[in-house]
Amino acid sequence: MDLEYLKMSPLEKFWFNFKNFFKRLPAAFSAFFKGIPKKLYKLWLGFFGIFINIGKAAKDGDWKTRLSFGAMGFGLIARKQYLRGIFYLVFEICFVLYMVFFGWKYLSKMGSLGEVARVEVWDEDLGIFTYKYYDNSLLILLYSLLTLFIMVGFVFVWYQNVKGSYLTQQFEEAKLKLPDIKAELRSYANENYHKSLLSIPLLGLIVFTILPIFFMIFIAFTNFDKVHYPPKELFQWVGMDNFVNVLGGGISANSKVFAYTFGEVLLWTIVWAVLATFTNYILGMVVAILINKKGVRGKKVFRTILVMTIAVPQFVSLMFMSQLLSEQGLLNNILLNWGWISKPIPFLTDGTAAKITVVVVNMWIGIPYSMLICTGILMNIPEDLYESARMDGASPVRAYMKITLPYMLHITTPYLITQFIGNLNNFNVIFLLTGGNPSSLDMQFAGKTDLLITWLYKLTVSESQYGLASVIGIFTFIIVAVLSLILYNRSKSVKNEEDFM
Amino acid sequence: MANVKFRSKKRKERASNIIVYSILILISAVWLIPFLILIIQSFSGGSGMASNTIFPRRWTFNNYVRLFTETKFLIWYGNTMLVSVVVTIVQTVIVLMTSYALSRLRFKMRKPLMNIMLILGMFPGFLSMTAVYFVLKEINLTQNLFGLILVYSASSAMQYYICKGFFDTIPKSLDEAARIDGASRHTVLVKIILPLAKPIIIYTILTAFIAPWGEYMFSSFIMLGDSDKYTVAVGMKSWIDNSVLASDYFTVFCAAAVVVSIPITALFIWLQRYYVEGITGGSVKG
Amino acid sequence: MADVSLKHIYKVYSNGTKAVNDFNMEIADKEFIVFVGPSGCGKSTTLRMIAGLEDISAGELKIGDIVVNDMEPKDRDIAMVFQNYALYPHMTVYENIAFGLRLRKLSKDEIHNKVIEAAEILGITDYLGKKPKEMSGGQRQRVALGRAIVREPKVMLLDEPLSNLDAKLRTQMRAEIAKLHKKLGTTFIYVTHDQVEAMTMGTRIVVMKDGYVQQIDTPKNLYNYPANKFVAGFIGTPQMSFFEGTLKKDGENVIIKLDCSDADIKVPYSMLYKAKSSILDGKAKVYIGFRAEDVSLAENGLRNNRVVIDAVVSHREELGNETLIYADLLGGHDETGNSRIIIKDNCGNEINAGDNIKVALDISKAHLFDKETEQSVLPRVPEYNYLDCQINDGKLKFFGTELEIPSAINCVNVNGEMLLPSNALTFNGKIKAEIVSCEEINGIYLLALAVNGNRLFALSHEKINGKTVNIGIDFKKLTVFAEGKKVISPIPEVNSFDCSFIKRKTLRKIEQNGKVINKKVIEFGFLTENVFFRASDDASQKIFSAFGLKKAFSSQLKMECGIFDTVVSEAGIPAKVESILDYGESKFLKCTVNNSTVYVKTDIEYAGDIFIAPDMEKIGIFEKEKEIKII
Repeated sequence: MDLEYLKMSPLEKFWFNFKNFFKRLPAAFSAFFKGIPKKLYKLWLGFFGIFINIGKAAKDGDWKTRLSFGAMGFGLIARKQYLRGIFYLVFEICFVLYMVFFGWKYLSKMGSLGEVARVEVWDEDLGIFTYKYYDNSLLILLYSLLTLFIMVGFVFVWYQNVKGSYLTQQFEEAKLKLPDIKAELRSYANENYHKSLLSIPLLGLIVFTILPIFFMIFIAFTNFDKVHYPPKELFQWVGMDNFVNVLGGGISANSKVFAYTFGEVLLWTIVWAVLATFTNYILGMVVAILINKKGVRGKKVFRTILVMTIAVPQFVSLMFMSQLLSEQGLLNNILLNWGWISKPIPFLTDGTAAKITVVVVNMWIGIPYSMLICTGILMNIPEDLYESARMDGASPVRAYMKITLPYMLHITTPYLITQFIGNLNNFNVIFLLTGGNPSSLDMQFAGKTDLLITWLYKLTVSESQYGLASVIGIFTFIIVAVLSLILYNRSKSVKNEEDFM
Repeated sequence: MANVKFRSKKRKERASNIIVYSILILISAVWLIPFLILIIQSFSGGSGMASNTIFPRRWTFNNYVRLFTETKFLIWYGNTMLVSVVVTIVQTVIVLMTSYALSRLRFKMRKPLMNIMLILGMFPGFLSMTAVYFVLKEINLTQNLFGLILVYSASSAMQYYICKGFFDTIPKSLDEAARIDGASRHTVLVKIILPLAKPIIIYTILTAFIAPWGEYMFSSFIMLGDSDKYTVAVGMKSWIDNSVLASDYFTVFCAAAVVVSIPITALFIWLQRYYVEGITGGSVKG
Repeated sequence: MADVSLKHIYKVYSNGTKAVNDFNMEIADKEFIVFVGPSGCGKSTTLRMIAGLEDISAGELKIGDIVVNDMEPKDRDIAMVFQNYALYPHMTVYENIAFGLRLRKLSKDEIHNKVIEAAEILGITDYLGKKPKEMSGGQRQRVALGRAIVREPKVMLLDEPLSNLDAKLRTQMRAEIAKLHKKLGTTFIYVTHDQVEAMTMGTRIVVMKDGYVQQIDTPKNLYNYPANKFVAGFIGTPQMSFFEGTLKKDGENVIIKLDCSDADIKVPYSMLYKAKSSILDGKAKVYIGFRAEDVSLAENGLRNNRVVIDAVVSHREELGNETLIYADLLGGHDETGNSRIIIKDNCGNEINAGDNIKVALDISKAHLFDKETEQSVLPRVPEYNYLDCQINDGKLKFFGTELEIPSAINCVNVNGEMLLPSNALTFNGKIKAEIVSCEEINGIYLLALAVNGNRLFALSHEKINGKTVNIGIDFKKLTVFAEGKKVISPIPEVNSFDCSFIKRKTLRKIEQNGKVINKKVIEFGFLTENVFFRASDDASQKIFSAFGLKKAFSSQLKMECGIFDTVVSEAGIPAKVESILDYGESKFLKCTVNNSTVYVKTDIEYAGDIFIAPDMEKIGIFEKEKEIKII
């Protein structure tokens, strides 16, 4: 940091940083894109390296190693590396059996997603038509994807097997000691401990997170919806149609409405995320500061009151609130009874009012939480910072502006980012409170308070518009990913440039 | 002179304290009153929605009796409890394993793995729901508590972040000392790290236990159509969704809410310290 | 209870930075070795490599007789004490100490006895039930020591164990650790950045900077004979005062001129006879350093070897028993250079800032360093002798003696200066020399000789008794300059070849069941100039452990082989004989191999094309790019 910068007033500094951010933006972008060929080259090298390794193993390998190309694990077993050798062998047998009896059946139909869904058959015994089911597009897609995953896994394991065989051969030739089975087992509690620890968590992640994500991405390119619903009907590949529809370029009238809905929902999602994050954060901090003010007694009591509200399951408070605030809800009834109002306040039934209600209720839900976090940090601010500020003659307000706020902001940036991203995908608050309502005639399957995620839920659960929903999901991901990457990078640069203290 | 100034300072302080107290009391009221209404309504004699006063005209215990006799609440409660307990155990173990590996062990895929998990976290969880649903359906695990447990715990690894942050603060030299003393990495985890990670273990347990109680999106989807397999969240929501039931069941709903909240609130207040440590520590370290 | 041997140890990080460079040391059993240096000098990294917490990039580490490069820390039989103690916070002191023993599955009683014994040695028996949190820093340090000694390791490693303690406790613990070392009789390796700790505790000290070992010696020798400016400045408090200046030989005297003082300091040449003559020309810049204890106030009376110069007092530090006076030398032509001198005064003179004083320097204790290299101008072991000589009709004349120049060297008649390495003097020649002194320095003997009254240095591996010795010159190592040109240049001691490590399959006759059969075997070796030289098993293991199996074959290497170990053979690297160099006692072939010159020891006068081969038992292998010695 140069002296010129240090001389500036805060406003100038902000302006300087602001300008710099945009000035650097093109450079950062170009650096990013310039980096791509290099990364690709590296990737290619790595990819190429795989073939080189295989080639080397084929060329220099002895018969034991070469046999492992077909009979996996042979080279290892022949060199007394039983543990891995037997694992590879068993894996290969399982894979072959899977492919023969199961995988291939589906994979071969992946291109067409099936030809015949069902056939009407006259049942002589019952004297009625029954259906005989054949191809199920959904299962074909799902299982062929699974098979593809398993095949990739197999190639990976196969490569490991070849590499391992060749490596043990080299070990043997170099007269280096090969680990015996005991040492190999022991290594899984030591050098290879990460393999033991991570295999199960990763398996869960692959099967229940990564595979489904790929599945949904594929679904985005099909016409899977209410009409094309297996097993009764097949669905087909439709290319980019769904994307075109969502963006308003489709032929049908629906497409325009859909695009409009998407825009509206997206806008509200972002507005909501910003409002929800910052109201909670700022007010939470204020409450924390009030509670932690020197000389306030009963800190614990106040804090416990607020913490208790976190402890009550969120869905309880949210559903209760939705009841309390509904048109015939308790609050309206009471206010009517007291004569304060003449007709019910449309807390949840008017578009704008509902939006305000959601934000306010979210504050009610979220402030205790951010208060807790802020309290933790406030108590960690070194007391001597304030003492030295007092020595320098700073008023409490000034001390707050110069010490508390920057400190808090600095430390809680990651928290703010995660909160923001969490709010973009905040299903519970919206769905349990308003259910996305009030509904609107201009929008398709979406209400005024629907976020992308709740709209997605409705599209799948009640409307079975799987293809379109997947497209929305992919867009949601892109938006969230881009926003969070930008934010993370910003916060990183902030961290590097002006480390607090 | 000095005396006067001193007194004025004191007076100023008192005045500001009074303001602070009144704000705090107001805040406490805003936060507590809805819950008080909830509790009061659970004892209300009138059938819920129709009432228009805070305090019911008739106090009764009937709502609780109805809750346990007329409804499937007890089954739902049992379901949720079972799912919670199992998910807690599985998730805690997985989170601890992942965090230790990512915090302490050095291997080639460490950084890429963390990046992949970061990106996966950005996918709307619901997006993968449909596929998971069909997978579960194929292995006959829809409308099945085990399926729900599987879904909840399968992606636990992604919750590693806070726990890893805590592990990172345990000095590395402890590991090194233990390794020189003759410990394998596994021994280091079991004998050194875990005993020191008590706060974060309790935090993980607490959050894992509470999550299924409030989760609606996944459970409603998986349990769609079989009310015997509902969790409390899905079940209670089903009362409200049905407008006929809604007005009738409002007071029962309040009673159910109280019953659900009591154990969790108690647990929460008991373990508050660890929870606060967890969220402040975890969210702050980045 | 073991010695530790570090041979060519390197630590290179994946980004290419070298944290430790070619660390060589033999640590004897029961020694107390201290690694000292500023932070980032690689001392802790070296220690952690010995402990096994950090991988060794290249080199060989032995504890006892076992190479431990690839061993897990737990199998190395070492114990370590950490800077922050690294006590397990959730265990009591007893459990902390017993932890390692329990993992080694000792019986309960055995563990108990050992823990109690260790606790008694360190005086922590009363705290055995406490947790580390409840103890003070000093007590925690004792527990950490207890945890280390209870396992009776072969080597104790201590990584800045005292730096978290306050000054008083540090002094106390210092003594206790020294006592512990005596009591246990274990090899201690101790890392610190505090030179006082190093000086007081170590039997030998390793001074490091930027990954390089600066000097390894006993505390006393480090203090008296610092090898370079860094060591001189690092060892001793207050820091040595350095001045820039020049040295000029003037007859039997040398005149020292400081840039920052007008004084000419005259010293007899006999004090500087170890210095190389090029530095005494009055132009080459040197640093002249004085320790505060060798500087005094002139008014306290002059002793021998003292010269007086003027200075003005800047400020003073009162230490009670003595006073440190910070003064600036006066005069001189260079205003920018350092002129600060620190004077240790224990006479309690009343001196104030701004006073002009006269400073007496003990010139015999001055330390001189070359400004370019920062190496000592007066090394303990002078590498070279510098002397005037004449070459006349194939004869080399110096100091009134003359020697026949061997036919290998063709030269013209000149008057010049010769650069004679101290190890180029042989003890079987014709020149008669008196032995002035013979001192042992780190295992070799430095002989100061006088030839017709002129000084010469020679090195010997064994002690030479008697008053006179006949010396000769190894002409292979001689350099003669005349009129700014090299008239005679030495031949290199080693030949170097580019090579790579390869694997190959060959047919080899093997006796099996009494029959000789041809069998395909796999061999490892070095390929240089397309010729394969089989590597010994030991050599290939070293290559593999330095590079790993994969990189071993793709790394560019350099093979070095002494000229005496390179021989003419039937098959080998094709070379063309250029000439035959006859040095009298031995003959060499000067050959060209692919545009580079190599020398081969020979008895037969070959000519034309020959094959040469290095002795595979005696080669050195280097990684070419980073210059890492592997074998």
